[in-house]
Amino acid sequence: MPLYVLQRLGLMLVTLFAIVTLTFFLMHAVPGGPFVSERMLAPEIEAALNAKFGLSDPIWVQYLNYLRSIMMFDLGPSFKYPGVSVNQMIADGLPVTLRTGLLAVICVIALGVPMGIVAALNRNKWPDTAVMMVATMGVAIPSYVIATVLLYVFALRLGWVPTFGLDDWRGYILPVLALSGFWVSFVARLSRSSLLETLDQDYMTTARAKGLKPGQVLFKHGLRNSLIPVVTVLGPVTANLLTGSFVIEQIFALPGIGRHFVLSITNRDYTAIMGITIFYAALLMVMILIVDLLYLWLDPRIKLGKQA
Amino acid sequence: MSVPMLSVRDLRTSFFSQRGEVQAVRGVSFDVHPGEILGIVGESGSGKSITCMSILRLLKSSGRIMGGEALFDGRDLFGLDEDAMRDLRGNDIAVIFQDPMTSLNPTLTVGEQVIETILRHRKVSRAEARARAIELFELVRIPSAAKRLKSYPHEFSGGMRQRVMIAMALSCDPKLLIADEPTTALDVTIQRQILLLLKELQSRLGMAVILITHDLGVIAEVTDRIVVMYGGMVMEQGSVRDLFAHPRHPYTQGLLSSVPDLRDDTHRRLTPIPGSPPDMVHPPAGCPFAPRCIHAMNQCAQAMPPLFTTATAPALAAGQGARCWLHHAEAPAVPGVNAPALEEAV
Repeated sequence: MPLYVLQRLGLMLVTLFAIVTLTFFLMHAVPGGPFVSERMLAPEIEAALNAKFGLSDPIWVQYLNYLRSIMMFDLGPSFKYPGVSVNQMIADGLPVTLRTGLLAVICVIALGVPMGIVAALNRNKWPDTAVMMVATMGVAIPSYVIATVLLYVFALRLGWVPTFGLDDWRGYILPVLALSGFWVSFVARLSRSSLLETLDQDYMTTARAKGLKPGQVLFKHGLRNSLIPVVTVLGPVTANLLTGSFVIEQIFALPGIGRHFVLSITNRDYTAIMGITIFYAALLMVMILIVDLLYLWLDPRIKLGKQA
Repeated sequence: MSVPMLSVRDLRTSFFSQRGEVQAVRGVSFDVHPGEILGIVGESGSGKSITCMSILRLLKSSGRIMGGEALFDGRDLFGLDEDAMRDLRGNDIAVIFQDPMTSLNPTLTVGEQVIETILRHRKVSRAEARARAIELFELVRIPSAAKRLKSYPHEFSGGMRQRVMIAMALSCDPKLLIADEPTTALDVTIQRQILLLLKELQSRLGMAVILITHDLGVIAEVTDRIVVMYGGMVMEQGSVRDLFAHPRHPYTQGLLSSVPDLRDDTHRRLTPIPGSPPDMVHPPAGCPFAPRCIHAMNQCAQAMPPLFTTATAPALAAGQGARCWLHHAEAPAVPGVNAPALEEAV
């Protein structure tokens, strides 16, 4: 087991290296640079800036320099915000993004899974139809539309929650709802179909034939098996929600990482793009590893690392 | 004969699908006496498994019991509330299913699956339930029982899993054990072991067993009485000896002659039954077997034959019943069915 985790961590480093390399060269292949948008920049000043940030060096030298710095967990300085390092940018945005993201993850698990269970247990009856209708809308309607509608109704018309900002807890309600809406719906649909499939299994009939109570049959025999596919998607979903939705952060004016990411791309803020991409990739891989370890607990048939 | 432990009368079960009402069981009656092994034979779709799942009220959601009654120890199973029914399942009536590969929960240890059954029905501590589980594993001859409790189903072979299923079924000393094709999914060599184990446990524990199978070899080996089902109905019933020696229904005769006999060295070809089972959405008004029957008469397609007994049909043995118009007093003589077979007459 520890050996397996070590192996996986090693593989993660290799993957990260590939991501760094790919992003680095893709980014430099895009026309423009961090300083072209500055108005009336004298050529000598631009040259000086380029020299300061090493942008006039041959590309492979820049690449090696960058690799060396990230080895020491230094994501470099931001090109657009003088005196701010990318590490600092991430550290500033992270608490907000993490808090909204974590709340959204909790929403997905605490709402999506029970919705799916209720729907499956009442198959083709009204609770099922109701849940499925909400879930279908949640999957079909883009999050920015949900966000706008929520803002209009609850913030503007009813005035129950602030339109922006996170000054008190009510500020979190709408962003979290808008952020998790799609995944709540997705997980509800997935849990429903997965539980329906499990309920049809022979061992569920065995459990009932043993005289077990409905609660025992459902929670001990049904849920665990039907949660396996749900856990599979929860890994990437968590990473996705934790790194924040750029759009949602934009709409609700949240000072998270997502906003920096969008801005850094339009600004060609090379180090910020790289830094946030690497951070996102690492988070995603850690989440997938956690999911794989969760499988061990859920499904004893899985023996991690044995096939290698 | 003793008082029956289970008495099923005119059971009718249907499934409701897109195509309409599938009449899977159409008026089945039979008795199970204490300590006997009753075999229910029939091809797939004859309604034999549905009959037993109806008795336990474990039908899939599209299935419904449309009529009839099942008396178990004097209690009307179809009248009990769900709680009482649950107290009975796994306790008084236990089941073994066909496929041990899918009938055990893959995410729980086999020990846990046996122990939870005991804890459900008996007021014992977990340690006592565990001790009982070890005892049961030894009873069904699972080697190193105590150690194997901690194994998961996928760590067992098919035969061993079926032993676990049997241990689970026996955990609360059921009065009646329903074994639904318990050996069908197993290797031939393992089939016999499991069958003999069942037979041995039955006589040791004195419970009654309903053995559902399509394998006549299995039936001949272990059962006392047989019910032959076809098209959701009982076609013939009687003691094993009578039914194998003198089957009095053309369907039973067809079944018996489609079984290979290894001792027969005359190179006789197997005789299959031509045709296929009836469509249960629109079951025929008359005998369901008539379209495939070599002796079919006009009468057979028009009216459902009753289950004739020895009272009116002299060809039948005591306790034997056959649902065939040939046993009507006015039917023409057909050797082997309602008249002595040619070799019997000599």
